[in-house]
Amino acid sequence: MAQIDIQNVQKFFGHLQVLKNLNLTIADGEFVVMLGQSGGGKTTALRAIAGLESVTSGKILINGTEVQDRKAADRDIAFVFQSFSLYPHMTVRENIAFPLRAVRMKATERDKAVNEVAGILQIAEHLNRKPSALSGGDMQRVAIARALVRRPQALLMDEPLGVLDAKLREQMRAEIKRLHIARGSTSVYVTHDQIEAMSLADRIVILHDGVLQQVGAPDEIYLHPTNLFVAKFVGSPVMNINGVRIDGNGVTLSGADASFSFPDDALASVRGTAADLTLGVRPEAVLLQHQQTEGYIEVQTTNIEPLGSHDIVDIGLGEAVLRARTESGFISGEGQRVWARLDPAQAHFFDTATGLNLRGAN
Amino acid sequence: MADIALQGVTKKFGANIALRDLDLDIKDGEFFVLLGQTGAGKTTTLRVIAGLEKPNSGKVILDGQDATNWNAAERDVALVLQQYSLYPRLTVRGNLEFPLKSRTHNLTAAEIKDRVDRVAETLQITRLLDRKVERLSGGEMQRVSIGRAIVRKPRVFLMDEPLSALDANLRDVLRVELKKLHSELGATFVFVTHDQVEAMSMGDKIGVLNKGRLVQVGTPSEIYAKPINTFVARSVGTPPMNLLDGTLRAGTAVLDAGGFTLPVTRIHGADGARIRFGIRPENMVLDGNGPASGRVFDVENHGVIKILTLDVNGTHLHATVSAQTKVQIDEVVPFGWRSEKVLSFDPTNGRNLDLD
Repeated sequence: MAQIDIQNVQKFFGHLQVLKNLNLTIADGEFVVMLGQSGGGKTTALRAIAGLESVTSGKILINGTEVQDRKAADRDIAFVFQSFSLYPHMTVRENIAFPLRAVRMKATERDKAVNEVAGILQIAEHLNRKPSALSGGDMQRVAIARALVRRPQALLMDEPLGVLDAKLREQMRAEIKRLHIARGSTSVYVTHDQIEAMSLADRIVILHDGVLQQVGAPDEIYLHPTNLFVAKFVGSPVMNINGVRIDGNGVTLSGADASFSFPDDALASVRGTAADLTLGVRPEAVLLQHQQTEGYIEVQTTNIEPLGSHDIVDIGLGEAVLRARTESGFISGEGQRVWARLDPAQAHFFDTATGLNLRGAN
Repeated sequence: MADIALQGVTKKFGANIALRDLDLDIKDGEFFVLLGQTGAGKTTTLRVIAGLEKPNSGKVILDGQDATNWNAAERDVALVLQQYSLYPRLTVRGNLEFPLKSRTHNLTAAEIKDRVDRVAETLQITRLLDRKVERLSGGEMQRVSIGRAIVRKPRVFLMDEPLSALDANLRDVLRVELKKLHSELGATFVFVTHDQVEAMSMGDKIGVLNKGRLVQVGTPSEIYAKPINTFVARSVGTPPMNLLDGTLRAGTAVLDAGGFTLPVTRIHGADGARIRFGIRPENMVLDGNGPASGRVFDVENHGVIKILTLDVNGTHLHATVSAQTKVQIDEVVPFGWRSEKVLSFDPTNGRNLDLD
């Protein structure tokens, strides 16, 4: 069990700065997911916590103790990699027991600890096999068991499901979540997969270009992105992003031939700003009607993607295009006249130049 | 422009039978998607149509003419692959001109320039024409590959997973563009993919392949709502359809998992008949009234929706619920289903009993 504090951490590789003044507190027992594209700095941040990478400046504290100058082995943290990195010549039991031999634990206690963790990870029947006889999922279970067996203060995972196929990934993801609930160990998990992040995390940390973009619970990140990067990175299909002009209560997308009417309170945050504005609305916040309806404007459907459970309908307003999520079969075809409205409560206004959400992250 | 027909096509690679007695009808101007897993025979089908593989038996008919013995060039089809296979040292223009410079086309320089310019405009790559292809992004390269296929105005476009090497957002964009291109060109498209989202969202028709056999052909909504068997039922939709074995009793379904009794609208079979019930995740209902219940095994959060995995006595079921639904892992939740959406399959051969 451990609280992890990252304070003003900078990391350079030569002239390249990969972490820019990173500050983050991970609470005891929390499951934090670092999400970002490759090159965003998430793996470097994880390796800095583990002690596999030194920091150029700043502090890392585990339970209040500064550890940035300690070796990885002295931080009492376990690490699971994407590649399973098991010892091929050892049995599963020997692999899991390895970290305990290093600390010279007694054989009986060691067996007990291995059996317990193998039971949790459902690999007890494989204990006497070699890793090469296991499936990918079971190999990763062994790697996790080996990480957990010595009851580390924290468990760090770097894309542990990256090489598994989709079905196994889903199953292992559920197991990792359940393991966390059962064991309560502080966990930091790195991924570029937003669904994994949304499904696993107590809080998501989004990193881009070495800069922390936003920290928040999954629903906060989804509903209240602080900037355009976060808005576009989370959610599928991607949030509609359009340049926009505001006149009175009229909101006009660039290239559009009509404007949406927004209530005063939805525009309060952008009143008086001189900035160029960008509007972000998720497809589920673009609402469609078959008939002319108060507050809706006329648009043309340009493309339908029937996905079975729902449809994604593209609508054109002049040159502008918006994607809407509708019930399956709601719109029967392309080139139809329909009426559209944007849900003001789910509309985000960003400063085009800085990318910041003008309503803030709430 | 062309109709394509395969008649009784069988293709073997050594002892391995890639295609088994395959019949296929693709209408002129159709966007036809072949959907299947690796090894289902979809790429082989495409290569047989292209003339790159010769079938062991059966016929390939193009526009009513037997083309089985025509070579690839004579068939006048264009193939777009997942790997871009462009000439790295040539500019975009050079790559687009390349197929037109062959003697068989006999085009003047002005005609070639005109065609290339028009294709570049269609694909919005005009500004890239003088760039070397090695300096393009993945999406731009795939556009150039498509452009090179379009420029010689073939009668058929064959596309083998052209989007699968691209990242998700770019794939979304190119999906829409390819559909638009198809409607502008009015040409016959045969598109191979293992991605059911691509199949559902792009195809006028989908052909589902399994182990070298064509299992079902239909519009996306037919395939989704009226699958011929459990294989097709599970090959479209995310997550896939839930299948639950049970017994018909007094017009209700008694499920093996948990012994729960759930209503069924369309009854197929006598009292006591064994049925494999199919229900899509979005047609599961968590409204607090049951009548069944399961333990929450996993919650997958998509922001707009959540996908729950429910453990019902060891059987895992998926349920798609609204993002506002609050459930905890290991919580026991009551669930039901929309009885009018329940499909009944024969548990011995997987056939959809609604279609009998």
